[in-house]
Amino acid sequence: MSHPLVIDNLVKRFGGLVATDQLSFKVEQGQSVGLIGPNGAGKTTVFSQIMGEYRQTSGSIKLYGKEISAQSTPARIRAGVSRTYQVPRPFADMNVLENIRVGKMPNSIWQMIRQRPNTEREVELALSVGFSEADLLRTPGELSMGDLRKLEMARTMATEPSIMLLDEVFAGLTVAEIEQVAKLIQTMRKEGMTFLIVSHDLKALEPLVDSAIAINQGAKIAEGSFADVLAHSEVRSSYLGVA
Amino acid sequence: MGLRWFHYALWALLLVVMAVLPEFVSKGTLRTIIFANFLAIFAISWDVLSGRTGYISFGHPFLIGIGAYTSAILSKRFDVPVEMAIPIAVVVTMVAGFIVFLPALRIRGSYFALVTLAFMELMYQLVQVIRPDLTGGTRGMSGIQTLTRGAVNGYYLSASLLFAVALSMWLLMRTQLGTALSAIGMNEESVLGSGLSTIKLKLFAFLTSAFIAGLGGAFYVHYLGSIAPRALFDINFLFTIIVAALIGGASTIIGPMIGAFFLTFLLEYLRPYLPGAERYFVYGAIALVLYMYQPKGLLEIFKRFWQRLAVGGSR
Repeated sequence: MSHPLVIDNLVKRFGGLVATDQLSFKVEQGQSVGLIGPNGAGKTTVFSQIMGEYRQTSGSIKLYGKEISAQSTPARIRAGVSRTYQVPRPFADMNVLENIRVGKMPNSIWQMIRQRPNTEREVELALSVGFSEADLLRTPGELSMGDLRKLEMARTMATEPSIMLLDEVFAGLTVAEIEQVAKLIQTMRKEGMTFLIVSHDLKALEPLVDSAIAINQGAKIAEGSFADVLAHSEVRSSYLGVA
Repeated sequence: MGLRWFHYALWALLLVVMAVLPEFVSKGTLRTIIFANFLAIFAISWDVLSGRTGYISFGHPFLIGIGAYTSAILSKRFDVPVEMAIPIAVVVTMVAGFIVFLPALRIRGSYFALVTLAFMELMYQLVQVIRPDLTGGTRGMSGIQTLTRGAVNGYYLSASLLFAVALSMWLLMRTQLGTALSAIGMNEESVLGSGLSTIKLKLFAFLTSAFIAGLGGAFYVHYLGSIAPRALFDINFLFTIIVAALIGGASTIIGPMIGAFFLTFLLEYLRPYLPGAERYFVYGAIALVLYMYQPKGLLEIFKRFWQRLAVGGSR
């Protein structure tokens, strides 16, 4: 069986700046991979290219063996890859269920008109990320940062991805919320979800990943088990500021 | 999401009120109501596009004008029967709607609004210069075939049109499609990130909006029997449409209707005191205060009032 995600020789230039520099890696089925690196290393840029929000300058991105570089973002999402954003981007005037509904919708005008929303599934998704019954009809303005991240997760899950890209899921969360989100990710890992996770919070990230990739200035500097990557001298100097 | 008894009741009530209204009001008031009906149609058309998706159209008279001019020219200059001219005008307006949609692929916000404003101005200049033998140039056209005679018939025609447009849009916007269109207005990237093609959704909104604008424009011209470019492409007409949708309650169907009636009667009752353009100053001020006090519009104010009554009653 082909890998869920294969990145090969990916290059992204913004004018003179090389944001992604000949980056290659693979993610195995059911594996969870941590993508780490200092600020500005180009982690989010990699996500944006996988999702098609930016087109890469060169290189290939394969999803389950199929080249997706020419596809639009919605087409890639339907092919099974979905991401969350560092800054949650909810629909401000919609309640939690309606926000999730948008992720669950069919991409056809006619089906949108014909199909009734699957409220049961919306509730199920909302509860699975840790919302309480009382939260379901709240709007994003009434939710905490942790809740907004959970909402982002739920809407992403509603698109029924087989591989999820999580971007700084722990940023701005309380200790209790971090625990909650971590538990959710662990549950999904057990159910066979494939993950690529970007996080600054290495302590929270460690138990969630099977392996890690470190990048700096867009290029891969280390790959392997989490402990090995952190022990790598280049990672230590560039990221942790230790000589 | 389902239809409730009070939905049926309210629509039935609206239908009954519309049906018996000519028995109770004067011919003059009826003519005012006819204008309000058409304004409500235009406001709904504007709202389907701009109220929902956030692509603010400052050029809605462009679409209305295409519908009105097409039907007027076809029937007056080429003797096409009105019942043929109107459907053709609607189709032509939808083609125009597609043209307005093209810039929306690349730009949004105030830039998009400016482009649509340019469409309107361009059309205003073009109808005066190009083929004045067809468009009537600066003076416009008169003696266009009318569909009805008398205020009562004109009223019934406009009211049925409004009722049909409002009910069908209301039913359509209650589906997941309405949710998706509103979602674009709130955060277009997140709609893309939910796996939905925003191009498809936006195109649908533009074509639907153009459909209603063309229908309203064509029927309006065959009610008036004349067309005057200076009134049609007037900035005050444009703002009346937008303000009607906004102060009534954007992203709803009843809201633009309430707004249209409120504005029409406000302007009408101010007429004896302020005959000139000062009226627009007064309504601008009222719109501003209303909008600051309750951005969700008159509809929201009514809803809250109703809730307060209901809570008070159950005590």
